[in-house]
Amino acid sequence: MTDRASTRDDAPAGRDVQDTPPEQPEAGSRTVGWLIQVITGALVLLLVTLHMIANHFIVPNGLRSFTDVVDYLRTPIVLFFEVTFLVVVTWHGLLGLRAVLFDFGLSRRTERAITGVLAVVGVVTVGYGLWLTSVVISWA
Amino acid sequence: MSEEQAVAGTPAAPRAERRVRRRGPVSWIDLRGRRLGGWAFVLNRATGLGVLLYLYLHLVVLSLLAGGPSSWDGFILIATNPLFLLLDVVLLFGLLAHGLNGIRVSLVGLGIVVDRQRALFVAFFIIGFIVFLIGAVRILGETGGG
Repeated sequence: MTDRASTRDDAPAGRDVQDTPPEQPEAGSRTVGWLIQVITGALVLLLVTLHMIANHFIVPNGLRSFTDVVDYLRTPIVLFFEVTFLVVVTWHGLLGLRAVLFDFGLSRRTERAITGVLAVVGVVTVGYGLWLTSVVISWA
Repeated sequence: MSEEQAVAGTPAAPRAERRVRRRGPVSWIDLRGRRLGGWAFVLNRATGLGVLLYLYLHLVVLSLLAGGPSSWDGFILIATNPLFLLLDVVLLFGLLAHGLNGIRVSLVGLGIVVDRQRALFVAFFIIGFIVFLIGAVRILGETGGG
C-alpha cells in the first residue's frame, strides 16, 4: 500500500481520509500539506540537530554568553541557517497544531478560520524572531 | 498487514488508532485496545505539542537577548541549575521521540519499508534510547558549569 495521500499525518478526523480507498489517492491541498509536513519535518530534524550541537553541546555550560551570541549571529552562514531554522520550525509546528485541531472534527468553515489564525501566528512568530535577531546583530 | 504493522495515519491503521483520530485528542487518554500504531500516533501528537510549546517558551527566553549582556548573562547562571537542565533532558526526549517517529511515519507514508514498520519502530526506539542516554549525561554534566 503506497498511497501517500491517505497516509498523511495531518488528515482531519472522521473525514474522507480514513475512508478513502488506497487505490484512490486524494489530490489537492491536503496532499500538499502532508508533503510539506514531511519536507519541513526532515529539514527541522537536520536543523535542530545542528542548532543543538552549535548552541548547546559544543559550548561550555551549554549556553553562549551575550558577546558570543552576537559574534555567532554576525556570521552570515550562521545567520542564514538560524533564520531558515526559525521559518521551517514555525511552519512545521503550526501545521502540526492545525492537524491536531482538525482531529476534533470541525466544520470546513472553522477549519478555514483556524488555518487563517495559525498563518497569522506564524507570520508574527517569524517576524518577532527576525526583529530579535536584528536587535542582537546590531548591538553596539 | 497486521494491525501492529499498520502505521499511524494510514487506511490500514488499526481500529484503535482510527478511533483515536475520529474522537479527537480527548481520546488520547483512552488506553483501551491500543496497539503499537495507536501508541505511536499518540506519542507523535503529544511530543509534537510539547515541542511546539517549548518553541514558544524558548522564544520568550531568547527575548532576554534584547535586554543586552546583563539580562542574558544573568539568565545563563539560572539555566545551569539542575532543575533547568532536567527540562532540557525532557526536551531531548520529546525531540527524539517526535523526530524518529516522524521519520518512520514519513518513510511508510511515502511507500518505503511499508512491510517493516514494527522493525523500524524497534530500530528507532533503540537508536533514540542510546542518543537520549548520551545526550542526557552530556546535559546533566553541565551542572555547576563545566
